[in-house]
Amino acid sequence: MLRVKAGDVDRMGLLFERYHRKLFGFLYHMLGQAEASEDLVQTVFYRMLKYRHTYTGEGEFRTWMYHLARNVLADHVKKNRHSVRHTDVAEWSEKIGGGAGADEKLQREQEVATLHRALAHLSEDYREVLVLSRFQELKYEEIARVLNTTEGAVKVRVHRAMNELKTIYLRIEN
Amino acid sequence: MNCEHAKEQLLDYLNHELPEAERPLVAAHLEECTECREELLALQRVWGTMSAIPVPEPSENVRPAFYAMLSAYKEETQAKPSSWAAVWQWLQAVFTPQQALRLAYSLALVGVGVAVGFWLNKQPAQTADNQQLATLTKQVADMRQVMLLSLIDNPSATERLRAVSYTKELNNANPRVVEALLSTLNHDENVNVRLATLEALAQLAHEPAVRQGLVQSLAKQESPLVQSALADVMVQLQEKRSVKPLRRLLNDPALNEAVRGKIKESIQSLSNGQAAPSTSNKPYDETFHPTPSDGAAGTAV
Ligand SMILES: [Zn+2]
Repeated sequence: MLRVKAGDVDRMGLLFERYHRKLFGFLYHMLGQAEASEDLVQTVFYRMLKYRHTYTGEGEFRTWMYHLARNVLADHVKKNRHSVRHTDVAEWSEKIGGGAGADEKLQREQEVATLHRALAHLSEDYREVLVLSRFQELKYEEIARVLNTTEGAVKVRVHRAMNELKTIYLRIEN
Repeated sequence: MNCEHAKEQLLDYLNHELPEAERPLVAAHLEECTECREELLALQRVWGTMSAIPVPEPSENVRPAFYAMLSAYKEETQAKPSSWAAVWQWLQAVFTPQQALRLAYSLALVGVGVAVGFWLNKQPAQTADNQQLATLTKQVADMRQVMLLSLIDNPSATERLRAVSYTKELNNANPRVVEALLSTLNHDENVNVRLATLEALAQLAHEPAVRQGLVQSLAKQESPLVQSALADVMVQLQEKRSVKPLRRLLNDPALNEAVRGKIKESIQSLSNGQAAPSTSNKPYDETFHPTPSDGAAGTAV
C-alpha cells in the first residue's frame, strides 16, 4: 500500500484483487443490498486512490479500508435515508422460511435464514462489530483501530451484540 | 474460576480472542461445569451458524468497472502514455495471459473512449489532444495484434475466430501478424476459421507480403469453399499473378466442378482486367469488405 501511496497507482489493482470480495461482504452485511454494495465497493476504491496520502502506513491496510468503507457507508445511508434497507435479506429468507422443517437440511437452512434476519434486525453498531469480527475476521484490536476506540470497548460491544442477536433470534423463531 | 467469570469469557474463548494464559483456566472450568458447557454450545451454535449466512459473490460488473475507473483516474492524474507499460506489466502478473490480454485490450478501448469524449467536448480540437488520441489509437491497434497472436494458436476454433476478428479496423499489420494469418489460412483445420482469415487478409491486401501470400495460398487450399472465396479475392484485387496458380488448379482432376466453373470465370475476368460483379448467393461474399476502414475516429469507436 505504501507503494500505491508513492504514486504507483497500478498497485491498486493487486489490492482490488485481494480485498474486493471481503469489502463487498462487509458492505453487503451492513446494507443488505448486493447491487448498492457493488457500487460502494467502487466508491471505496476510488477514495483509496484519491486519499492515498492519508494512509500513514501504520497498521494494516485493511483497517484503513474498513475505515473508509464506514465513511462511504455513512454517506450512502444519509443520502438514502428513506429507501428500504435489507430488502435482499427479507426476500431471501421469506423464500426459505415458508416450508415445513421436515428434513434436517431444510431445518438447518431455516436456522441460517432466521439468524440472517436476526442479524439484519440488529442495531447498526452491534451488527458492525459482529460483521467485522465474525465475517471479516478482524481481531478486536483491529476493530478498535477501524472504529477509533479501545480494544476493551470493542470487546464489550461484541458481547452485547451477541446477546442481543440471540434475543432477536429467539423472538423471530417463536 | 467461578461461573459468572467463566461465562464472560466464553465468547472470547470461542473467538480466539482470549489470551493464551487464560484459555486453560476456562477449559478447566468447562470440564467440571455442565451449565457453562451448555452455554458454550448455545453460543457456538449461533456463532457457527453465522458463518453459514450466504453472501452473494459480487457480480461480473465489479471488476471491469474498477479497472475502467483506475484507468480513467490515471488518465486524469498523469496523462502520460508510458503508464500503459506499467498496467500491462501488472495485468500479466495478476492474470493468466489470456485474461490479461482481454483486460488490457478493454482498458485500451476505454482509454480511447475517454480521449475521444474529451476531444469531442473541446470545441477547437487542440493538437495535444489529437496527439494523445493518435497515441491511444495506436495502442489499441498494437493490442489487437498482440491479442491476435496470442489466440491464433488456441485449440478452440471459437478462440481462433476471435483472434482473427481482432484484425477488424486494423489498417496495418506487423509482419508477425501477417505471417500468423497466412499460416492460419493455409493450415487451420477449420474451414470457418480459414474463411474468416481470408477475409481478414483481404482487408490487408494493400501490403505486398499479404498479396503474395494470398497468391501462394491458392495452391494450398483443398476446400471448395476456400478455393472459390480465394478466387473471388483475386478478382477483387485484380491480382494478375494469380492467373498461373488458378490455371494449375484447373489441372487438378479432383477439383470440385462448381469451383472449376468459378475459377474459369475468374481467370477470364482477370484477363479482361475487370472485376466480376460479386455473386451474392455465397456466404463468403456477404462478409467480404475489400476496402479497409480509414480514419482514427472510425477505429476508436
Ligand atoms: Zn460454570
